[in-house]
Amino acid sequence: MVKLRARCLLVGDAAVGKSALCHMFHSDGTLFHKNYSMTTGVELLMKCVNIPETSDSVELYIIDSAGKETLVEACEKMWGQPSLLCLVFDLTSEQSFANCSHWMERVRAHWQGLHVPGVLVGNKSDLSSRREVQASVAQEWAQSQGLEYHETSAKEMNNFDAPLLSLARALHSLYQERRETIQNLSPG
Amino acid sequence: MFDSSLSSLGAKVVVATSSDENHPPENIIDGNTNTFWMSTGMFPQEFVIRFAEPTSISAVTVDSYNVKRLKIEKNSSQNASQFESVTEKELENTEGHLQSNTISGIGSSATHLRFIITTGYDHFVSVHRVSVQN
Repeated sequence: MVKLRARCLLVGDAAVGKSALCHMFHSDGTLFHKNYSMTTGVELLMKCVNIPETSDSVELYIIDSAGKETLVEACEKMWGQPSLLCLVFDLTSEQSFANCSHWMERVRAHWQGLHVPGVLVGNKSDLSSRREVQASVAQEWAQSQGLEYHETSAKEMNNFDAPLLSLARALHSLYQERRETIQNLSPG
Repeated sequence: MFDSSLSSLGAKVVVATSSDENHPPENIIDGNTNTFWMSTGMFPQEFVIRFAEPTSISAVTVDSYNVKRLKIEKNSSQNASQFESVTEKELENTEGHLQSNTISGIGSSATHLRFIITTGYDHFVSVHRVSVQN
């Protein structure tokens, strides 16, 4: 049995639904805030995820960081060295998708050369008539960045836990890979 | 003492911040570099070794993998508290084989040695052996 721990950075433009997703995930789908309240700093939520078919688990320390441009710099100081990345945009806002490349640049500066498993999340999939970003376009960009693509609706509880569960599994496989490498090392 | 493992001399690892039951902290002091303790995510990580009796130490050798910054502290009390800083070191990245670093200048006797890994070259690091020269 292993309990892994990961710092999971949650970023993206303001009002794309980062906190909504994060609270839904944290509360197993029981807590959806109907009223918008902008995150102005960094909120830390911890959630333990069991890895299917193993006795292992991953403790995710989710760092929900403000998306508003003027607040980002102050928040960056609290990002530390992330182990996982969850980048969110709003499917009804082309701009929030376009800004994802800026977010990638920003977070890469904190990776210090490490491989950080990440997901791209298109949120608000319930608002299909207002959709501005096509799944195929988002999927293609995600792939070019080495991210796994998910679409979610925090409001309709659609797929809301998939991105973070997938990140937990990714960290678990990374751990197993590294453990194997270490087992096969030659002495110094 | 160089040839015998710390555990055979009665030392124990009394604190470790990660646990994979297949790679327990005892592996650090069994004298064998084929067995190891592995960190399970995030930094800092630390472990504390308690000696059976106050031990005079001239140097410690740490065999590890992917450790970037290592801080060592010691004390000479019965409890694992109130440590004083000994040294802080940036270790070289060694791909494919173990890092082996000897740190001298520990000075006088100690009952506990505390090792704090503040950063790594990867998400996960391992410590294979700590040995002590008197």
